[in-house]
Amino acid sequence: MKRISLFTLAAVGLLSAPAWGAEPLTDVAEIVERANLASYYAGDDGRSEARMAIEDTQGRRQLRQFTILRRNESKGGDQDFMVFFSRPSDVRGTVFLVAKHMDRDDDRWLYLPGLDLVRRISAGDKRTSFVGSHFFYEDVSGRNPADDEHRLVETTAEHYVLESRPKNPGAVEFSRYVTRVDRETFLPMKTEYYDDSDRVYRLMEVLGVEEIGGYPTVTSSRMSDAISGGGTLMEFRYTEYDVGLPADIFSERYLRNPPIDWLRRGGE
Amino acid sequence: MPLARCWLPLLGMLLIAVAPLAARAADDDPFAEFEQQEWEDPWAADPGGLSWTGFAEGALGARWDSVDNLDRLTLGEVRLRAETRYDGEAFSVDFKGELNLDQVTDEIDASLRELALTARPASNVDAKLGRQVLTWGTGDLLFLNDLFPKDFISFFAGRDEDYLKRPSDAVRISIFTAPVNLDIAWMPDFEPDDYLYGERFAFWQPGAGKVAAPQPPRRADEPSDDELALRLFRTVEGTEYALYGYIGRWKQPLGVDEQGRPEFPRLHTWGASIRKPLYKGLFNAEAAWYDSRDDSSGDDPAVPNSELRLLLGYEQELVRNLTAGTQLYAERIQHHARLMANSPDPQAERDQWRSVATLRLTHRALQDTLTSSFFIFISPSDEDFYLRPSIAWRRDDQWLFSAGLNIYGGSEDYTFFGQLEDNSNAWLRVRYHY
Repeated sequence: MKRISLFTLAAVGLLSAPAWGAEPLTDVAEIVERANLASYYAGDDGRSEARMAIEDTQGRRQLRQFTILRRNESKGGDQDFMVFFSRPSDVRGTVFLVAKHMDRDDDRWLYLPGLDLVRRISAGDKRTSFVGSHFFYEDVSGRNPADDEHRLVETTAEHYVLESRPKNPGAVEFSRYVTRVDRETFLPMKTEYYDDSDRVYRLMEVLGVEEIGGYPTVTSSRMSDAISGGGTLMEFRYTEYDVGLPADIFSERYLRNPPIDWLRRGGE
Repeated sequence: MPLARCWLPLLGMLLIAVAPLAARAADDDPFAEFEQQEWEDPWAADPGGLSWTGFAEGALGARWDSVDNLDRLTLGEVRLRAETRYDGEAFSVDFKGELNLDQVTDEIDASLRELALTARPASNVDAKLGRQVLTWGTGDLLFLNDLFPKDFISFFAGRDEDYLKRPSDAVRISIFTAPVNLDIAWMPDFEPDDYLYGERFAFWQPGAGKVAAPQPPRRADEPSDDELALRLFRTVEGTEYALYGYIGRWKQPLGVDEQGRPEFPRLHTWGASIRKPLYKGLFNAEAAWYDSRDDSSGDDPAVPNSELRLLLGYEQELVRNLTAGTQLYAERIQHHARLMANSPDPQAERDQWRSVATLRLTHRALQDTLTSSFFIFISPSDEDFYLRPSIAWRRDDQWLFSAGLNIYGGSEDYTFFGQLEDNSNAWLRVRYHY
């Protein structure tokens, strides 16, 4: 019995090894960079619809539905994001604009349609809830890889296992996080965040990946509060890359007056 | 507070609030139903009919001091809101309408908050025509270059902060060019503030020399002139610059005509603002010159003097989920000596400088569902204050419960916030979004 199970394990290991039998990378900086590009920089720009189901510890559920536009100024560099909310009804018409910078704090604006108010949000803490979900703002727009020290702790048949520690521990709520990066797609498939007592208190799991326009794309992921039990499921659909978004979309003009032609499925 | 007066809002709040008790039973996989749902297209050109959203809200508020001629009830209403939006190929139409059963005024009020057509007549031009809410400027609850109408009655009574802005019937044209963008808002009819006039709140009566609610409550006649507001703006490397202009009238009837009736004197304003990241937060500065056209020399006590208004602000997240914002604001009367020389009651006139400091603290907890807010205006020059604490619990996507206080005080009865002391009130609202 013992022999069979060892044999089975070996066979599974062989089958799931990277298809081309490529030599695994050993340079942690290269893995981190490729994971960052795979997660947040697919194409020169992108459009996607997203929705989230947020469940609190008492089992109450909230939904969010939004359309995201993204444009890269350079690969791995500055980016613009715009998030247009369509659900629930009390946030319908709200728009969030982020100009993500590598060398300084991000610029963030929120458009509140009830007041016709373009409110600027102070840079501050990006590790706070994104519209009430368990995802943080930083999970949506990407954490700057240069903010952490990374270490390759293990290379398995399918994953690079990275351990990351913050360079400025006072600025974040975690003491370290461990990421399992897919060896083929370079998408982080699971991230565990540890608190000061070295407990996993926050857990991100990728539940679905599809190849879209040549880019492996996360279509379903879940962020869980590993201690209290709540969590948020986020799904992406109707994702398109390289749609040719003009740079001037990401401005006050389109906060007040959404660029509908670019928001429609298969638009422009 | 006489219960008979508030049965309707109470019943509304009760009906609105008991419904969640009949909430759905929990299933095993909380996300199963979600994953099977169809994705409706929020931006579809032909969605097959309009989609309607909105809310029902019950609200109650009461003052704790009794005032002659006024009810204890400062807020007592059931409000129904319906909203929709049509996105056509060449234009969009937004609609927001309301029905309000108001126990304080004993009125059923149907109002149109928005009905506007938005189009792009040229690639660099946006136009919005119709009833719409308009806002610009950098202040937080302080408005220098934003001369669009405010509803101070709603603000002081504890309605949602959205109601501080009244809609205008306006044509708004925005032109976007590489060096600078231009906003033009033209209002064919003068759109005044909803100011205190004796219906819900008492205020300083210069003629009587005391705080009272005038009986019968009466609003000033509104001139039928047009108004024009302009903004030139540009954002460079995260710094927002703007220049402003306004041609119209003082938004409240601060003048007195020959028969002693309140009126809206003519006003031009010019100003500028800047907003930029600074240190770990945001800095803003704004200035406005209020040119009181009917009293250029500043010696007519029946018309407000010209004023310079200045604002400095800074906001920063102090710790996770706690944000603090502070502002320093000042108004300088241009010809103060002439004002005093010609005033019938110099004692009750303002000092040359009126200064106000504000502090806002906002705390979010329980996954952003519990928001506590504390806002205070303090005026060192007037020795008065206005404190606005509130708490809001967003139970889920449907239910919002909120409560708060409006507390006014001051050492004199005739100052800006001091005159409102007897109007201090507490309020409670329950809202259901559909």
